[in-house]
Amino acid sequence: MKKSDIIAKIYMLIIFIVIYLPTIFLVILSFNDSPKILFPIKQLSMRWYTGQRELWQMNPSYIPIIHDWQFWNAVTNSIRVSGITAVLTCIIVTVTALTMRYRLVGRDILFYLFLLGFITPGALVGLGTVLMFSMLGVSITEWNMIAINTVYASSFGFILMMARFDPELMLYEQTAAALRVDPLRVYLHITLPLIKWEVLSAGIMGFLLSWGELIRNLWVARGTGVVSTFIYTQLTVYPLTTKWFAAGTIMTVVSIVGLLIMAELLSRGAK
Amino acid sequence: MVRHMRYILILPGLITYIFFLIVPLGIMTVMSFFKPVWPGYKVEFTVSNYISYLTSPQFKTMLINTLYTSIGTAFICLVIGFPFAYCYTFKVKSQRAKNYITMFLLAPFLIDWTIRSVAWLSILGEGGVLNSLLLSSGLISKPLKILFTPAALFIIWVQTNLLFMIFPINLALGRLDPEMIDAARVLKAPPHRVIYDIIFKASLPGVICGFIFVFVNTISDYVTPALWAGGMQTLGLSVSTYASQFLWPQASAAGIILLVVCIIVLYILLKIVDIKKLVYE
Amino acid sequence: MGKIIQVRDLVKWYGKRVLALNKVSFEVDEGDFFVIIGPSGCGKSTLMKILAGVLDYDSGEVYIAGKNMKGVPPHKRDLSLMFESYALFPHMSVFDNIAFGLRMMGKDKEYIKRKVSEALALVGMSGFENRSPLELSGGQRQRVALARALVVEPKVLLLDEPISHVDYQLQRKLMEDFKVIHKKTGNTFVLTTHVQDHALTLADHMIVMNTGVIEQYGTPEEVYCKPKTVFAARFVGDINLIPGEVASKDGDMYIVKTEIGEFKSASSGEGHIKPGTRLAYGIRPQYVMVNKSIKNANYVKGKFVRNYYFGKYVECIFNVDGKAELKASVPPEEAINLKLEKEYTLCWDSGNTVLLEKPSVIEGLNIEEVIYGK
Repeated sequence: MKKSDIIAKIYMLIIFIVIYLPTIFLVILSFNDSPKILFPIKQLSMRWYTGQRELWQMNPSYIPIIHDWQFWNAVTNSIRVSGITAVLTCIIVTVTALTMRYRLVGRDILFYLFLLGFITPGALVGLGTVLMFSMLGVSITEWNMIAINTVYASSFGFILMMARFDPELMLYEQTAAALRVDPLRVYLHITLPLIKWEVLSAGIMGFLLSWGELIRNLWVARGTGVVSTFIYTQLTVYPLTTKWFAAGTIMTVVSIVGLLIMAELLSRGAK
Repeated sequence: MVRHMRYILILPGLITYIFFLIVPLGIMTVMSFFKPVWPGYKVEFTVSNYISYLTSPQFKTMLINTLYTSIGTAFICLVIGFPFAYCYTFKVKSQRAKNYITMFLLAPFLIDWTIRSVAWLSILGEGGVLNSLLLSSGLISKPLKILFTPAALFIIWVQTNLLFMIFPINLALGRLDPEMIDAARVLKAPPHRVIYDIIFKASLPGVICGFIFVFVNTISDYVTPALWAGGMQTLGLSVSTYASQFLWPQASAAGIILLVVCIIVLYILLKIVDIKKLVYE
Repeated sequence: MGKIIQVRDLVKWYGKRVLALNKVSFEVDEGDFFVIIGPSGCGKSTLMKILAGVLDYDSGEVYIAGKNMKGVPPHKRDLSLMFESYALFPHMSVFDNIAFGLRMMGKDKEYIKRKVSEALALVGMSGFENRSPLELSGGQRQRVALARALVVEPKVLLLDEPISHVDYQLQRKLMEDFKVIHKKTGNTFVLTTHVQDHALTLADHMIVMNTGVIEQYGTPEEVYCKPKTVFAARFVGDINLIPGEVASKDGDMYIVKTEIGEFKSASSGEGHIKPGTRLAYGIRPQYVMVNKSIKNANYVKGKFVRNYYFGKYVECIFNVDGKAELKASVPPEEAINLKLEKEYTLCWDSGNTVLLEKPSVIEGLNIEEVIYGK
């Protein structure tokens, strides 16, 4: 192994560790018996995961995560919102990106529109939506959250997807067309299979971006809200305890497992 | 017929964007020129919102705060992220390893952002790990105050946004013809010039893209500076403050100013490199 | 003249399965115009990249100007390589691409400007200075890549398929230019191609490569007139091959028994082929004459079945007894008089024949299989 290769791998490892630092601590501290989220850990326990009901105090900060039904409500909401966002992002990004390859009237304008979609700070979109809907007299629902996140994620996804399109793709499509295959079939049998990984990553991006998004969601959250808004509002009201680290740990485990499965699938599927 | 098909296909995206982006922004713009009358507004044209906002004592501080933190974070991400993207593209050989690395990098995203920030508390806080280590090893005598200073902000933001920088750079690097690097070496370019003249410059669209991503992300986030940098106020915060007092016109004006700042920075960045080249043609 | 390049037992594997270079050894004289000819995938590009230093090898030795090149990076070698894939810098203009090498060498602005203009004029692309490589066609890009490699005037100039995508007229012009520049600068040129005309025209010395091995080394005349293997004979120039067995040797002549008759072949004086050896009897189409009579001739009767018009000559295919097909290059004025499906007598001078014992340098190939194209 060349020397430069070793240096490269060490560098990547260091960055990795830095990115994972809070996660590592979060996991370790989640087993701390004390509600204070600081070292040293005097006693290990699982109380923040599965405490006993009798140990509850009236303070929601102390409810063990498994029993906190509000939290799980928020999780369900998150999954639903992010899932729908992912699907919508996928569709919008794929269709639009494919069509944008051709010369259209106003193609540049569309491009800047998409650009606007993600440079617009969350506060603006949130405020604007609130104003707009109050004027219309329509109440804000989960769909607002989905829509806003879709717009945001689509902007990202659009730029990234167009950049990843194989320039040969159009060539394949034209070849098929020259073989007298009608446009719909070309789309289904040639285009889509060739870009399935890009489409998939657009969906993943939609999911991840909406899951982690706090600002935009804050403006349009109603009810329990999604995980990000729920935790934020809880922490602004009730004191901070180790319980949230337990929540974080659970999410870490789930996400790592899920993503590892994806990595494995991708490794088998793609070249 | 096919031509028209294309315009039809664009429609769903277009409609969504118009309805959920353009219209709200339009309403905001209009609203910003209305007279604020608590708890609402009066439909009367006025520029007073802008004037009072722009001349307010906090504005200048907020503007400076916003700009230096966001641009600074973007630069740090670039400095850290470019070598990473370089290593990832050129030094990791198997696609399988690349997939796993990507997935591992994405995992922290699914952990809620708030919790992650809180975790930093336990590391950077006065009773936290870093200070305990430094104190016990005798390197410092008093605990370092990192939390609630701009330093904490940079740490948290860089950690969150690094991926946004790495991803586009990866994209641009992946499109490079590896033989181009060989060609440069044969043409007598020493290694450092190969990296700068050839690799960096050719990946510039990706770099700018990443810079924009990080900048926009950070400028959007007014919560983190307020919470973790000792109550640092950034431009987005005023929107929220006004809105919580139901002062819609003033909130709108503050928002528009923020958008204008964003667009100006973006314009400058796009002048350096035309992103459209990265995307199509 | 010293040897500027020496390669000994060079071995290069790609991964675990593909052997690109199989103990390749050769030498290049200083100031030579050296051509490597071979089909696609034979390892020419790999060889060039190893010489340039951008590709590492598994075992063997490479010496340039007498120094071992192990571990020497490309920017410390006094050579230049034009890549088969052009590898132009997409983010630089044509001018900057060509100027790059000169800039790295620290030449001043005036010099660079002059040299780049000269190079562009040479490849016929003056006026293209400010274009982006992305806007150019394949042939134009190839010429820019060529200019880029030429302009640095290195001691050894490596050119990997430099004119394959350029039109015929321009190819001829560039080949002449190569010769002129080569003579003027006295530098060593190493060029790869799969087009035999290029090799024969340009080379002082050449090697024929075949999937990782060298089939033959020699001057163009040697390789063309005295090929050592079936592969070399086939690849450099067209040839009729008939499998046969040496029956006997009559003074200077070998008598070879084949399916379609017994033929004579003048011995080249080198070596002695034992009777009973199976080999290929070869005669190039331009030596096969129709309805003529010459001394030392071999005769055979064949039915005229097909022809292909090449302008300068007509390639006529004759079917002999249903067992073999012979090609003859016939001048157009004669070919007009030939009628299809009629039988004619073909003859050739025994002095123009070659006897090829080895199908290829690669061991274990069956000569008949190679002739019939495996």
